[in-house]
Amino acid sequence: MPFLTLGSYRIRYELDGPANAPTYVLVNGLTQYAELWAAYRDALVARQFRVATFDLLGQGTSDKPALFINQDDHVAALGLLIGELGDGPVFLSGISFGGLIALRYAIAHGTRLSGLVPMSCFAELSPQLLLLGNAMRTGLILGGTSYLQDLLLPMNLSDQWLKPLLDKLDGVKRQGWLVNDVYALQNLMESFLDFEPLTPQLSSIGVPTMILNGEFDFLTPRALHETLRVNIPNSSLVIIPKAYHAFTLEKPALAADLLARFAEDVLASRWQGNKAVWIAPEEAGGALAPFPAGHDHLRAIPTQGTIP
Amino acid sequence: MSQFFGPLDSGGRVPPRQQTRVAAFLISAHGALARQFAFALPIRLETAWQTELNAQVYRETEIISLLLRATLWQPDLTLGYMAASWETAWFPTPIEGIPDRALALAAGLATLAHAVHASIRPASLLPVEANANDPFVTALRRIEFESSRLLQAQSLFLKGPELVPFRDAVSAALERRHAEIGKLWTEALEGVGITTSRA
Repeated sequence: MPFLTLGSYRIRYELDGPANAPTYVLVNGLTQYAELWAAYRDALVARQFRVATFDLLGQGTSDKPALFINQDDHVAALGLLIGELGDGPVFLSGISFGGLIALRYAIAHGTRLSGLVPMSCFAELSPQLLLLGNAMRTGLILGGTSYLQDLLLPMNLSDQWLKPLLDKLDGVKRQGWLVNDVYALQNLMESFLDFEPLTPQLSSIGVPTMILNGEFDFLTPRALHETLRVNIPNSSLVIIPKAYHAFTLEKPALAADLLARFAEDVLASRWQGNKAVWIAPEEAGGALAPFPAGHDHLRAIPTQGTIP
Repeated sequence: MSQFFGPLDSGGRVPPRQQTRVAAFLISAHGALARQFAFALPIRLETAWQTELNAQVYRETEIISLLLRATLWQPDLTLGYMAASWETAWFPTPIEGIPDRALALAAGLATLAHAVHASIRPASLLPVEANANDPFVTALRRIEFESSRLLQAQSLFLKGPELVPFRDAVSAALERRHAEIGKLWTEALEGVGITTSRA
């Protein structure tokens, strides 16, 4: 199990796939761990990508600072990992908290990237997200990791995914509960206490950027992704149908296919962001459809509006 | 070596030898916290935060009482030696670099309590098959749950305004405490066939 060294801390990482191939670097969400990307490793390696995954500081098998975790440390760890990859093309993607870390890396070191895919992401804390984050932190403090998982599962996954697992949820939660410690999760959450919005810096992201947002994402709704689309010059927004915040867990085949197609398009110089809004297919391999002209993609009901 | 207790008996109970070792370690650690919190607790509370100190004393005592009654004890000849090294490790250690002696001692106690409550996770050793109705199993789950709540007082204090000027010293002392107690916990478990991620 290889480790990177960040100061006095160790960061556990994994590289899979051919060493000379374009690389996808995948960044975990807050309560995740690197093994949750297993389906992505398989799918992307089969498409001739190299895949780099790691546990953030405070997660899984990486070291867990006892009292403070600074978001800059995650960006630094990501930089160390990307430094291990040589000079080939690097595509960076992250989910939720990991998407935020990916954004921060792209703002600071965008020239090293060939493409960026923020998923279920945000650049600022809306009042709803701030209050939800506070409530989740309180839930973690009062009820432990298991209670936080109880909150997140129904918030972030669909009925279709949950229904067959209703009597097996303890098993679903167990690995996350085992590898994540309350104090470390709390430290990760508290790294937002001095968070400054990234929105003013988004325009400096020059790389092709595909923003993925679940149609029914409740935690980070469309408006937060719209901030990314409007401010990142070479971007487009792709809405994943019938998906929630954790669509990377629920629809790995579709999400991995979208990642691969995006990178293939960029490498073949076919990619055009144009700040367009697209609707992803429901299954991997299907065609993306442009969001219907004349309708407002920020609304849940058909409302006339134009995409600025 | 396994990451979990076992092999369980036909009733899903943890082997008495493992119960004894884990309970002895936890009683030693939480007992030290109970004693040190009790010494720090004045007869009459002077400030609001001392209400939390009062709560901590009784919750630590509850953990000890619970383990004494829920554990299937078995003679363990190595416990004498191990317990001596554990008790030495819990000695009050003021944090160097904090000139106010009382504050340095209080912060040192908080680092010990933080390390015990945060990094010792006895319930994570329970395999899926453990009998949820067994008192020892229930006790470990309760202790881990209570520890994560007790931890908040230490987190608030160690991150609080009084210690901001000494943040580097506090962080370094806390990391040392975590490493030291994690090592003792790992060694205690290894002696009864359990390996941890730290091993």
